[in-house]
Amino acid sequence: MTQQIFLYNSKVSKILRNINKVMIGKEEVATLSLVALLAEGHVLLEDVPGVGKTMLVRTLSKSVNCEFKRIQFTPDLLPSDVTGVSIYNPKEMEFEFRGGPILGDIVLADEINRTSPKTQSALLEAMEEMSVTVDGRSISLNQPFFVMATQNPIEYEGTYPLPEAQLDRFLLKLNMGYPSQEQELEMLERTSKEHPIQTIDSVMTKEELISIQKEVREVFVDKPVQQYIVSIVTKTRTHRSVYLGVSPRGSIALMKAAKAYAFIHGRDYVIPDDVKYLAPFVLGHRIILNSEAKFEGITPGVVVNEILGAVPVPVRREYP
Amino acid sequence: MEGSSRNIYQSIIYLCGFLLFWEWLRPLSTISDTGSLSVFVGYTAFCFLISMLKLKSWLSFLLKLAGLLFVIDVLFISERMFSKGWFYLIYVHGQFNVEMILNQQWNEMTPMFRSFLFLLLLWLMSYLLYYWFVIAKRIFLFILLTFIYITILDTFTMYDGSLAIIRIFVVSLVAMGINGVASLIDRESISQFGLRKITAWFLPLLGVILFSMLVGFASPKLDPQWPDPVPFIQSTAENAGFNRGNVVQKVGYGEDDSQLGGSFIQDHSPVFQAATSQDNYWRIESKDFYSGKGWEQSTPYNYQEQSDGRIMLKTFRDGIDTTERRAMVRMEEDANLPKVVYPYGIRQIQGMGQDTNFLLDEVTGSIQPEQSGFNGYDITYRYPSFSIDKLQTSSEEDPEGIKDLYLQLPDDLPERVKDLAEQIVVEEETRYDKVTAIEQYFSLNGYTYQTENVAVPEEDEDYVDQFLFETMVGYCDNFSTSMVVLLRSLDIPARWVKGFTNGDLLEEQPQVPDGLDVYQISNSNAHSWVEVYFPDVGWVPFEPTVGFASPVDFFEETTADPSDNDSDVENEQEDEVEQEQEEEEDLTGNFQDFEDDSGQMGETFSEESSTKIWSWIITIAVILAVCFTLYFTRYRWVSYFILKHYKQREDKSVSQDAYHYLLKILERKGIKRERGQTLREYAKFVDEKFESTEMSRLTHYYERTIYRNEDNSGQWDKISELWENLVKRSLS
Repeated sequence: MTQQIFLYNSKVSKILRNINKVMIGKEEVATLSLVALLAEGHVLLEDVPGVGKTMLVRTLSKSVNCEFKRIQFTPDLLPSDVTGVSIYNPKEMEFEFRGGPILGDIVLADEINRTSPKTQSALLEAMEEMSVTVDGRSISLNQPFFVMATQNPIEYEGTYPLPEAQLDRFLLKLNMGYPSQEQELEMLERTSKEHPIQTIDSVMTKEELISIQKEVREVFVDKPVQQYIVSIVTKTRTHRSVYLGVSPRGSIALMKAAKAYAFIHGRDYVIPDDVKYLAPFVLGHRIILNSEAKFEGITPGVVVNEILGAVPVPVRREYP
Repeated sequence: MEGSSRNIYQSIIYLCGFLLFWEWLRPLSTISDTGSLSVFVGYTAFCFLISMLKLKSWLSFLLKLAGLLFVIDVLFISERMFSKGWFYLIYVHGQFNVEMILNQQWNEMTPMFRSFLFLLLLWLMSYLLYYWFVIAKRIFLFILLTFIYITILDTFTMYDGSLAIIRIFVVSLVAMGINGVASLIDRESISQFGLRKITAWFLPLLGVILFSMLVGFASPKLDPQWPDPVPFIQSTAENAGFNRGNVVQKVGYGEDDSQLGGSFIQDHSPVFQAATSQDNYWRIESKDFYSGKGWEQSTPYNYQEQSDGRIMLKTFRDGIDTTERRAMVRMEEDANLPKVVYPYGIRQIQGMGQDTNFLLDEVTGSIQPEQSGFNGYDITYRYPSFSIDKLQTSSEEDPEGIKDLYLQLPDDLPERVKDLAEQIVVEEETRYDKVTAIEQYFSLNGYTYQTENVAVPEEDEDYVDQFLFETMVGYCDNFSTSMVVLLRSLDIPARWVKGFTNGDLLEEQPQVPDGLDVYQISNSNAHSWVEVYFPDVGWVPFEPTVGFASPVDFFEETTADPSDNDSDVENEQEDEVEQEQEEEEDLTGNFQDFEDDSGQMGETFSEESSTKIWSWIITIAVILAVCFTLYFTRYRWVSYFILKHYKQREDKSVSQDAYHYLLKILERKGIKRERGQTLREYAKFVDEKFESTEMSRLTHYYERTIYRNEDNSGQWDKISELWENLVKRSLS
């Protein structure tokens, strides 16, 4: 186990290095995206256009040698545009399935909140079930399958914000944020001749990625840490600013993410630091605040951090 | 901005540290014979300044060393600095003093070397205070110590700390106030601390200091709750034996009697042993001038060599009945009594073991050996017995020479003393009757013998007047001086005599010539009594002190045969006298019993109750001190045991226990882990404080045991080393 970690860990860091070559100052988002990828989860990126969301996903997919597909969500997009349709082939005299973009390995679902809930749910169902049903036929999705959905927080006009229950389907919700002045300057410098994405190489095969995902599942989470996760999650349900707390799925998500995060850091066991670091990204979008809290300007991030400050970190274990 | 303001705070705090430390140096000139104090203070200031500048450690070391050498050079060495002779001198001194230290002859160390050690101490203090005040930011302990130091000095020495206390108070309030800001800035990592906030902080601080100063100054102060020990120690110091080196001095024979009064501590250290056929008082000298506070000698000592040890001292006339006796006196080696103690009627003295001439001052009767360091002598004397008839019939025509010297009284002696004297003797006619009336006045009128809580006359008070009319308690000096003054106010020549009482008969008698008994005379036997002049008889000793028997015999002649004087000539009066003596001896015997008891307990106090109380207090204080020390150093010794214990244990929970013990120590040191803080975050925080990586490394090992359930006994060596280092670091 340790050896594999050691082996794969260098590859994982290479992915991060690749992303850092292309994206400047986005180490955190890159790491977190990788966490989601390795934990077999999906990411919701909420940010304005042009901060590098697409570039991030493309770099990621190129690094892990996966097929990259992109769906640009528009109000008139139909579910079949996502999943694919069966088309009658006159020559063969039968319906032939033409897979939609969801059949890629790494899918960028751009501006997911601009499309109708019907289409949205098609995507979200696929993410959850790992298969799509077209004309009564169930077609399983690729392995690996990683969706990075983006939504634009600025334009709410004519948009269909994702229902809270469905946000649950995303392992992490991230914000890109603007680069700093120096970073932007450097960005100009780097892209002036050729785009750096041309220069990067893939560091692993799809198969390797799959086995890494398997390794990640094997990462050890000890009882005290599990207890810690559960304490944090249950605390969200009783917090005074919270209308709806995190579901048990949130606990599972937090543990999965923590395992991936530990793996990225070369550990085969999860420590409370992993949990603590990831909690705002995993739990933030799973909390619905009550109206007073919203009115006071409290954000889910504030609530999660408050909870993290109050839940005691496990520092001893019971020895029989 | 941030750094510079922090530097300013640190400098102010450190400056306060210097001011406080200065208070430690100030009293040195009062309580010890430290000279050139300003030089030492200057060197201290120099060391503090160097520390404050935060120079490179080697540079500051060199500078401080250079300063030290410079001070030594200025104070002690005339050679040019760094010349050949200079180095040679340093070398010679160093060699000599190291030798003295190795031989444990501490007193032999040269002043230069002692100054060197002192300067070294100042240097170390500058570093220690830098650590306390600037690095550890724990200033309260030093402030507390300073207060304790000054109060103790103020209480027990001549040093007057009333101003020092105010200075310390102000300085320490300033230091603690600024330390508060500085640590707040540190803890909250406030970067901008603008002028407004500074004033908002410092104006209240200033206000608090001024206000508390005013309140402290204006509020009524409680009088001292126990008798001021300063005059007490002063008086005993002046009564003390010749052990000059001792800081705490006790009762005993002393040269200076110009300031009498005050309590004294009994000191049972032996002064000499005497082998005599009958116990008697041991005279040393008399004094003639009463100043209102004590006794002095108006004529300068005029020592005459006595040929062949024949002492030409006549305190009484030849016609007095005497018994020829012999006494051997052996001085204790460390008693250092410079004068000869002798019984009344001394005729001949001979040094034991060595031939030495003796010198006599006839006026006071003080006898000194020509060479010091004699350890014993053999005395032949004729002990007098005074015929009461002779005393009664003695003429009262005193020679002019006697009148001149022994009727002196201070001009401001209160009238009521004279009135009292006349009242006492109103029914007496002869001089002898008057004298005995006064001698017995004290015991008949409720005057008590007591060595503790004895008053010292105020500036405008007379020693005798205070005793006679106000306190009515005291010891031999009070009684004897009062009697002399009362007699003199009746124009009876009298003088004040000091010496030793007969002492204690040794239980185990050493080998001495037949018929002699050996008495042990200690400092607590130091005594004073009265001699009254009778023109036909000479100087006759009287004992006014309550509880003490008369040193000589008085008898009434019933037959005409004077040779019967020391046979069984008895009459009623002598019976009475003897009974009295017996009673009194019982009394003194009791005293001595007490003294013996207390001596066995290792105490120096004479009274049983106070001995017990003191021994209790001391025992409790020692126990408390031990408990406190154990409690405050508990982490130190507990961690020692824990480490030993943990090294023996094998199971997995060892490292957990050890790690949590470390957390506890750190928490006590003020580095507390918050509930929601992970070990890693905490370790990083700790390491930042300690400027190391040990805590993170240790935490890494620990994480593997508790979050991975790993057995780390293989790395136990590394772990215990890290753990030990961290424990030491956090305890330092």
